[in-house]
Amino acid sequence: MRVALLIASASLHGGIAMPHIAYLAILPEIVMLGGAILLLAVASLVRSALNVTVITVSTLVISLASLAAALWQFFDVQSHGAYTTLDHAVVLDGFSVLVTVLVASAMALTALVGDGYQRREGLAGPEFNVLAMVSATGAMLMGEANDLVIVFLGLEILSIALYVLAAFNRRRAESGEAALKYFLLGGFSSAIFVYGIALTYGATGTTNLTQIADFLAKNVVVSDGLLLAGLTLLLVGFAFKVAAVPFHMWTPDVYQGSPTPITGFMSAVAKAAGFAALIRVFVSSFGVLRVDWQPIIYALAVVTLLVGAVLALIQTDIKRMLAYSSINHAGFVLLGLEAAGALGKVGARGVSSALYYLFAYTFMAIGSFAIVSVLGGRGDAAHEISNYKGLGKRQPFLALAFAVLLLSQAGAPFTTGFWAKLQVVAAAVDANSVPLAVIAMVSAAVAAFFYLRVVLLMYSPKKFVSDQEGDRLENLDASGDAVASTSAREPLWSGSGRQTALVNELNATLLLESSPETIEVPDEREGDVVNVPVLAVVAIGICIAVTVGFGVFPAPLADFAHKASLLFMP
Amino acid sequence: MDQYLPIVLLLGLGLLFAAGSFVGSSLLGPAKKPTGAKIAPYECGIVPDHEPPQRFPVRFYLVAMIFIIFDIEIVFLYPWAVIFREIRVFGFVEVLVFAVVVFVAFLFLISNGALNWGPAKRLSEGMPSRTSDSTILRITATPSPPTSPERAA
Amino acid sequence: MPLFALVGFLVLLAFGRRIGDPVAGWIGTLAIAGSFVAACITFAGLSHLPSGAREFTQTYFTWISVGGLHVNAAILIDPLSMTMAMFVTGVSMLIHLYSIGYMKKDRDYSKFFVYLNLFVFSMLILVLANNLLLTFVGWEGVGVCSYWLVSFWFERDSAASAGKKAFIYNRVGDVGFLLAMFLVFSKVGTLNYLSVFANRHVLAGGTATAVMLLLFLAATGKSAQIPLFNWLPDAMEGPTPVSALIHAATMVTAGVYLLCRMNEVLALTPDAMWVIAIVGGVTAFVAATIASAQQDIKKVLAFSTVSQIGYMVLAVGSGAYIAAIFLMVCHAFYKGLLFLGAGSVIHGLEDEQDLKRMGRLRKWLPWTYATFLVAWLSIAGVPPFSGFWSKGDVLTNVYAKSPALWALGVVTAVLTGYYMSRLFFLAFYGKDRWKDPVPGGAAHHSPHESPWVMRLPLVILAVFSALAGAFDLPWVHHYDFASWLAPVFAHSLYLDHEGTVAQWVLATIDAVMAFVGIGVAWHLWKSKVNRPELERKFLINVWYWDDFYDTVIGRPSQSLARFCAGVVDARVIDGAVNGAASLVRATGSQARRLQSGYVRNYALGIAFGTAAIVVFVLSRTWW
Repeated sequence: MRVALLIASASLHGGIAMPHIAYLAILPEIVMLGGAILLLAVASLVRSALNVTVITVSTLVISLASLAAALWQFFDVQSHGAYTTLDHAVVLDGFSVLVTVLVASAMALTALVGDGYQRREGLAGPEFNVLAMVSATGAMLMGEANDLVIVFLGLEILSIALYVLAAFNRRRAESGEAALKYFLLGGFSSAIFVYGIALTYGATGTTNLTQIADFLAKNVVVSDGLLLAGLTLLLVGFAFKVAAVPFHMWTPDVYQGSPTPITGFMSAVAKAAGFAALIRVFVSSFGVLRVDWQPIIYALAVVTLLVGAVLALIQTDIKRMLAYSSINHAGFVLLGLEAAGALGKVGARGVSSALYYLFAYTFMAIGSFAIVSVLGGRGDAAHEISNYKGLGKRQPFLALAFAVLLLSQAGAPFTTGFWAKLQVVAAAVDANSVPLAVIAMVSAAVAAFFYLRVVLLMYSPKKFVSDQEGDRLENLDASGDAVASTSAREPLWSGSGRQTALVNELNATLLLESSPETIEVPDEREGDVVNVPVLAVVAIGICIAVTVGFGVFPAPLADFAHKASLLFMP
Repeated sequence: MDQYLPIVLLLGLGLLFAAGSFVGSSLLGPAKKPTGAKIAPYECGIVPDHEPPQRFPVRFYLVAMIFIIFDIEIVFLYPWAVIFREIRVFGFVEVLVFAVVVFVAFLFLISNGALNWGPAKRLSEGMPSRTSDSTILRITATPSPPTSPERAA
Repeated sequence: MPLFALVGFLVLLAFGRRIGDPVAGWIGTLAIAGSFVAACITFAGLSHLPSGAREFTQTYFTWISVGGLHVNAAILIDPLSMTMAMFVTGVSMLIHLYSIGYMKKDRDYSKFFVYLNLFVFSMLILVLANNLLLTFVGWEGVGVCSYWLVSFWFERDSAASAGKKAFIYNRVGDVGFLLAMFLVFSKVGTLNYLSVFANRHVLAGGTATAVMLLLFLAATGKSAQIPLFNWLPDAMEGPTPVSALIHAATMVTAGVYLLCRMNEVLALTPDAMWVIAIVGGVTAFVAATIASAQQDIKKVLAFSTVSQIGYMVLAVGSGAYIAAIFLMVCHAFYKGLLFLGAGSVIHGLEDEQDLKRMGRLRKWLPWTYATFLVAWLSIAGVPPFSGFWSKGDVLTNVYAKSPALWALGVVTAVLTGYYMSRLFFLAFYGKDRWKDPVPGGAAHHSPHESPWVMRLPLVILAVFSALAGAFDLPWVHHYDFASWLAPVFAHSLYLDHEGTVAQWVLATIDAVMAFVGIGVAWHLWKSKVNRPELERKFLINVWYWDDFYDTVIGRPSQSLARFCAGVVDARVIDGAVNGAASLVRATGSQARRLQSGYVRNYALGIAFGTAAIVVFVLSRTWW
């Protein structure tokens, strides 16, 4: 990639100017990607297969090293201020540091959750963690990109690894379906995004974010359709990544189909990275054009908030419900972005509120999906909401943890979810978008309903649901089981009628073939109580600690987000 | 309307390309309807004595993909070689990093048995004794065992 | 300091059920003992400083920082808060110790200590907080703990409803606290005590009156003053150590503490002080009359508590903060002792609380008798016991404020001597009435003395009840209570003691009144048990206060609630909510159709979305 850049700069400037590289700026990425490659190489070279523990531990070490590097960056930025490097293609500022911290933490948590998942599903091998780390690298890159090309590069590194991860559980037909949908639509949106870059380049003559801002500041373009069209297409590309309505349709299917730990990772990291790049591009480069893009964000936020909340209500699958809830959350972050479009202090507050929201959301989402993953049982299929009935009796701690995370997502006080919602809504009010704030509150109220429904169900005695509805849920449950068991039992080779040959090919191609003997028939779900792996408990515990800890004492995190927005390099 | 000229041009080009493909293929393609023999497998007169397999073994695709990896590496190496004298050590290190990344991917594929052109796991009954599998078996001489379950998973 | 209590609470919460009886109790007691020691150390450190410098704030972390509101989790250490902390932890420690014996064999033994520890923690937060909001947190904390503890035996209907009553009365008061807090914040822009005091001129005039009256409303709730005093007697449904700890020694004094804490603001508003003084005096009198007619030993003590706190409020209203705090401390000792003694009696008689079914217990419960004697003399105001000094201090100051209120106080003092002696004689003298069989129940067994863990606190408290008066003797002016607390109240109009002659006269009157009360009681109750002419229905039924609330507030609001539930809620609100819900569901089901599961449709969606936005953007440029 750097070579490509070099060539580009060579052709621009005539001679070849060696870019100065501040390695600190890309240290977390180097650590993460280098670690991933090293892990892959070692796993390939050793004679016997590495066991899951070794892989998990090394992934943890790598993620934490990356996190440490990010913290180092933070102190550096605090003392020396923000700067760009690599020929201004990469920027190191508080904003990028926050995103990096977020992604590295998410990666570590995913490794913890993934450990139990891989054991349960019998998916040995380094691929899971390596791909996740590559994806995390892409996300970090998006957070500190100062050039549209780098944004795109990060986007693709992030996405391609995620496509593969979505298909990771070959025994579930849904997994392949999810991957294929994600891949096709992702490719579609990436194409739109690249087209946006092209149009922007055409209009401004550069892809560098800072230079775009300079160009727009110096040249008063009364009405530049080319630029605006480029802007729109960029926005569409981002909106797809962060699952804003109407570019959200892939979300429920993909979230439902992907392996659950990956769903958590995807929902947290892809969203955070997408929003980070979106905020940077729109606020810093296209700040001048705010009158043009603010109404679009406004409209996107409104439909995202409403559609996410309303559709989540009628879901019977917990992962789909959480998918819609993540769409709803995206609406809230858009609220912050809308406010970020305002000038001066109000805008900075919008940025910091959006960052805070992303931070809070990351931990809530990973924690929630970790619990869903644990409860999914062998085959990762038991995701009907009706399965959660009486969970408070069966597994009180897990139920309590889930209740806390769901309440936080609903915005209950003394959780980060509350402060996050408060901050974005306050930012929107500051930015004089009162109707939008009101819509957000209404949507939060509707959302509270579906979160509380799950909480109630968990703590209800057996016959809480009215008989009719209970029957309906039971039926759904039964059919869900049937589907899950067919897809789990029938080896892909036999080409079950449900799936297209293409899906199978994709599965097989991406993940290599396996001998039919390795496909084990999952046991009947033993009882109702699932075994909770220790590492998953640790991950859930961390998520809860962050959610409740910063909920009770919001000051440090709010401060961090605020600093990040102050050090935001325009 | 000036500023929209590029968009309009691009739009026109896109449409032209799409329409051109259709028109071109109908012009260049054979006019007649295909006969039964034409749509038969192999399209060469040999009548297959059993149903053709639904899918090809995945290894065919793998080989193609491995080829692509090196293909891309070569694509990068050419321009690098052209300006190598100007970018010196820095360029050398950079391309080394790139090569290592590609190589590790290759390593991973090999360790997973992507090039393990081993014995077929099942031979369907009633097949003629000479198959591509048996041919390859004779060439490699030592049949490697099927990949271990953990490995493959 | 509060950390010890918190740690105790957490440990017991986590492991209490497994540890169980009696180790959990010891852990709880140790935790509080740790707090007490920490308080003593801080006290010692503080007393070495010059009197002007005895005030510092320790900030732990920024708690809330939203907009203009910055609240730190910080504690303010000054003579006032340290005095409170010392006696809160000290008395609590003794009561914990006592509970180890009293709660023995209870089903929820460890839970009891969990609540107790949490209560002490909240109380310390309340006392030590350096701002109104943190105080409010402690305030609510003790309220909640009190609710849990009062309805500790929640299987009993009366206990459950008493808990609710306590909570609801307190909530009424809390509204006052919240409003006062909002008012202070909107005027001064901070909730920190010291900053509020520094800027108190902003509040001068009507605002100060409003703030203080609102805070006083909160105080009447927590400290059981008219009009919100009815909950306290009902709260006696809780275990007796709870009554001792919460409803005698500590929690009920929170209101008085709050008023003292805000003395600098209170000083700005003579009107509010008059209101406070009058309410306090009237409460003291009314409660004393009621106490003289009750049969339940704990109810007598409860109304006596209300009456005594009335004295404290009266003192605050007269600007005699030091006297109020002095009485509070002494009261904590002797009222704690009275409750624990009563608990010992109840324990000895196996849960008999009816005074009329006691008698001649001095033979059977010698320790309890001896300590109770001390407490009795103390509360009655017999010199040289602590009650005499502290009550005398209050009355002297009240005399300076208004002789009329002073007269009311003196009458109350007579009544105090009277009802306490009545209780004492009925319980410990006369015949062994507990031997009489009750209709429908057997006679009691011989009463038994309590185990040493229960006796030890009694003795310690008895010593303090007897001697606490020495903390603040009128003729001592160094190292005494007044000079210790003086810096806190320096800016306020604290009325010093009257001239020496007047003081002697007043003190003599006090002592005489105490003896009058005791003498009358001796005459009336030495041998007789029933004197219906002195136990008027009016008094037994608490001046029909509850019935008044029931008719004026309870019933109308109940019927209003019924109306709301039956008509408004069922038709209007449920209709709207259900309507909205089904509307949302219907929309959802329709919208679901778009979610077809086909990639091509999704791609189409993206394409349409893009097209819509592009058209929108471009259309703007054409306008």
